[in-house]
Amino acid sequence: MGTLLLDILTTAAGLFIVSSGLLIVFGVMKIINFAHGAFITVGAYAALVTYWLAVPLWLSPVIGFAAGAALGAVTEGFIVRRLYRRPLDAILATWGLSIVLGQLVTLAFGRQVQFVPSPLAGTMALLGGDYSRYRLALVPAALVIGVLFTALLNGTRLGLNTRAVILNEGLAQSLGIDSTRVRFITFAIGSGLAAAAGALITPLASVDPNMGIAWLTNAFMLVMVSGGSLLTLAVSCLVLGGLQVLASTFISPILGGLTIAVVAALALRLRPAGFARA
Amino acid sequence: MLETGEAARPAGWGIGAWVRLAAPALLAACLVLAAPGVIGTYLVDILVRASFVAIAAITVDILWGYSGFLTFGQSAFFGLGAYGLAIVFTGFGFSPTSVALAVTVVILASGAVALFVGWLSFYPGATPLYASVISLVLPIVLVQVLYSGGTFTGSSSGLVGFDSFDLANEDWFRVAGLGLVAVAVVAKIYLSSDAGRILSALRDNEQRCAYLGLDTSLRRILLLVVCGVVAGMAGFGYAAYGGIAAPENASFLFGTELIVMVALGGRGSLAGAVIGALAIEVASAFLSGSLPYVWELIVGIVFIAVILLLPGGLYGGVAHLVGLARRAPAGRTTRLVQAPARPRPPDAADEVVRATGVEKHFGSLTVLSGINFTARRGELVSLVGPNGAGKTTLIRCLADGRERSAGEVQIGGHPIGRLAPDRIVALGLGRKFQAASVFETLSVADCLRIARTRHERPSWFRASPVLALPPAARVVVENAGLAERLHEPARLLSHGLKQALELAMVLALEPEVVLLDEPTAGLTRVERQRFGTILTELVRHDRLCVLIIEHDLDFVREISSRIIVLHQGRIALDGTVAEVVDAPLVREIYTGHGQMAESPA
Amino acid sequence: MTGDPAPLLEVSGLSSGYGGSTVIRDVSFSVRRGEVLALVGKNGMGKTSLLKTIMGFLPVESGRVTFRGRDVTHLAPHAKRRQALAYAPQEQALFQDLTVRENLRLGLLSDGAFEARFAQVAEAFPILAKRLGQRAGTLSGGEQKMLIVARGLMAEPLLFMLDEVTEGLQPSVIDRLAEVLASRRRRDGIALLIVEQHLPFALGIADRYAVLKRGEIIASGPVTADAARGIEEHMQI
Repeated sequence: MGTLLLDILTTAAGLFIVSSGLLIVFGVMKIINFAHGAFITVGAYAALVTYWLAVPLWLSPVIGFAAGAALGAVTEGFIVRRLYRRPLDAILATWGLSIVLGQLVTLAFGRQVQFVPSPLAGTMALLGGDYSRYRLALVPAALVIGVLFTALLNGTRLGLNTRAVILNEGLAQSLGIDSTRVRFITFAIGSGLAAAAGALITPLASVDPNMGIAWLTNAFMLVMVSGGSLLTLAVSCLVLGGLQVLASTFISPILGGLTIAVVAALALRLRPAGFARA
Repeated sequence: MLETGEAARPAGWGIGAWVRLAAPALLAACLVLAAPGVIGTYLVDILVRASFVAIAAITVDILWGYSGFLTFGQSAFFGLGAYGLAIVFTGFGFSPTSVALAVTVVILASGAVALFVGWLSFYPGATPLYASVISLVLPIVLVQVLYSGGTFTGSSSGLVGFDSFDLANEDWFRVAGLGLVAVAVVAKIYLSSDAGRILSALRDNEQRCAYLGLDTSLRRILLLVVCGVVAGMAGFGYAAYGGIAAPENASFLFGTELIVMVALGGRGSLAGAVIGALAIEVASAFLSGSLPYVWELIVGIVFIAVILLLPGGLYGGVAHLVGLARRAPAGRTTRLVQAPARPRPPDAADEVVRATGVEKHFGSLTVLSGINFTARRGELVSLVGPNGAGKTTLIRCLADGRERSAGEVQIGGHPIGRLAPDRIVALGLGRKFQAASVFETLSVADCLRIARTRHERPSWFRASPVLALPPAARVVVENAGLAERLHEPARLLSHGLKQALELAMVLALEPEVVLLDEPTAGLTRVERQRFGTILTELVRHDRLCVLIIEHDLDFVREISSRIIVLHQGRIALDGTVAEVVDAPLVREIYTGHGQMAESPA
Repeated sequence: MTGDPAPLLEVSGLSSGYGGSTVIRDVSFSVRRGEVLALVGKNGMGKTSLLKTIMGFLPVESGRVTFRGRDVTHLAPHAKRRQALAYAPQEQALFQDLTVRENLRLGLLSDGAFEARFAQVAEAFPILAKRLGQRAGTLSGGEQKMLIVARGLMAEPLLFMLDEVTEGLQPSVIDRLAEVLASRRRRDGIALLIVEQHLPFALGIADRYAVLKRGEIIASGPVTADAARGIEEHMQI
């Protein structure tokens, strides 16, 4: 029972970390960045390189963030910006980028599955069982990310400008906000966050060129259900993540992996705008 | 050229049209029959598979390129077809009975899944993004189901080793090739027909389709079912030839590959989809061996470039260069005739619009309250008021049963309840939007023909040379000069002409009441006068009821029989032109003299 | 009060439109520093479109807009604001979901001078000081308009363009707005370009007027008693 609870919490934390970057981009730019999975992969390989270069492993999320943000900046400037009026095509173009990045990673690192050791080894006795320390560390990591971004959005001028662009881009422009720059910064940060998430989750799974894709579907179903609010995203991750864990444990792991996608699809059918204002 | 009297039966396709279609089809068929003797066995093998994939690509193009639904999920149907065959043959062996069973299973399974997915994705108020997301989730779900199917589905290795049709590769080539040609020909006939044009209308302007009385959700669902079954049969063929059904055949990755093929080849053109599929399949087969990851990298880069720079794909780019604009086929003419008059039922009520206690709230903001009025045949009612008074909201509440927060609306004597616009159009309502809402990529004649869909079922294989319009619509078409431009694409029309076209389309519905939202905005004085004359004629002669939102008060004074003044969400005045124009209240509202009560926020 | 004779805002031969139709036709006028120009005309005549074109939200088909001597015809809206050109649109002029304080902060380009600037504005509209923490959407109609004007004034712009700010307001609120705008204009020399249907308000504070009909200026000149009568005739139904 205790293990189940911890599974739910840590799964939700992992989902939140991976989805938050996508949420930020969706909220400001109203598109789903299909390259999000590729950015996750990039971050994971950044962690791998960090490991190979014997750099302290806890720096890997930072390095991943930098790599992801740089890539995101280039993507927004050259690709996404030109497809402002064609949102479905923007989705396709980012998917194309995902293919390109995947192939580049494969060319550079090979197709084989690789591993990064966990910076926080061992288990901890908790709630009547031994639980992986690193998995547990995901929960505070998710909280830190959530708090950091909420603070950024609500406590800084840049955050206020971003919220203004989200609510009414035209009005924001007439008040002197360069919405193109806001979109640019948002996309870069969202991509950086995706890569940092990739670096954070690698010790738990393995690293291969296609790992990001599995996370992509769940991430954007969660983002669409949340309708643009970080808080609702956290709740969705808990609820849907919890359902996934329960389904995997009591029905089958393979079908459990479908829970989020299926439940989110049905939920959106009932409430297409998501649940931000529930 | 105009003819009055009974509408002539469509003359059908001329010889020219048949030849234009039959010639390339026959040529392709001959190539297919002759080729295996010429090309090597390796290429034959690749092309058999490629042909089945191309059939699936055609379905993707129909759904995406033509009807505007970005779908990643056609691979799921392909996989259903492959697995349907594999499971039946594995379980029952190979025999005519098992073949019949397999075909039935595939058709039923694909159809049922498509029906469910369609119901999920296409409903009034659905967004295109949601539909695309569902199409993406479908193959992912299917693959996971296949993985967990144990020996029944072969899990991650798939099903292999079942007996299948005993045909030589060359014969398979002919079957697959001719199948591809057949599917392409049937698709081409349908897409060029009047019914097929509706797909482009759905893509261009789904709202306009709804307001022409078309049940857009149903049409999309039916289209998906057909395309799902066709893709399923393509998968059937693929597995029958290859002797294996693997999860990759149903995967999301394959679904995206189909999109890439159609995008690169040219979405919205059948030739493009086929060329894209065949080219990529063949190139992949040859290149992915020697340049394993570089080949896919190149495809990815070209894909991005095409999306950014050449949305029409390679076919579109080439066609553009060669100057083949998307015009009607050469020599296409359309005869304009009068539609047979529809008798009005003798007890048709005089009153066509009745609003009782209509209210609209957005959260705590009240936009409309206490709206009560009726409108009759032969009345031209102008709805005026300052900005933000609620005029467009009121129109929306009349045209869409789901809009209002409270109150009753009756159109043509029938309560609209919570009906969607297409059902209210069936009750006799026509709505013209402020920004001319037509089908940009279709010709004027096609736009008008689609507007007649409710009254005249379009052919599934002919492009009729005759366009029958009711008198009111015909008058507009002639007066505006649209009769000479029947084959021009709507997007090339001037603003005034687009407005006239939209009005003609709405009148082609033969409505009882027409709602117009600022129709004279942006018109020149001459166009405005002409428009006013047309409206007054419609009201007087055809006994139409017209409700018009207008800001040009001179225009309103000239043409109205009645004026309703809306202010802060309520009806401030409702009376004849004489009663309203001089009323002090109206002066107040418009020029700010006198006291006004503040409205609650 | 007239200051520098060179016009602050100069619009010459401006034409614009959308959807293939021309809404503004060959419009020319100017506003000097510290001057108030009232653009009047009936609904749908292009007043809002004119302001949108000047601000950069509608593409310019032909003509020129000069501000502070610089050609700003094709300058992006946010860059125009940075030139001290403030604009309050007619619809959706506030962020309903943000607080009053946040809406006011957005009136400034950065937060540094907020307290000082707000102190001045709070004198004019004391009610806002009481509502700083509330969501803008919960304010009454009059308070929302006051917020819009306060936000524009906080920017201490050279030119403040207001689109139908009095719409739907109680007379007492309209009077207050007129008072505040007149006094700020006296004190700081803010020029105003107001689009209005409410003639007493517009002509009460304007130095000059221009009547817009079907996208063209059909009359203009200084505000006098005679002019006022003539304008009223233009506005009759």
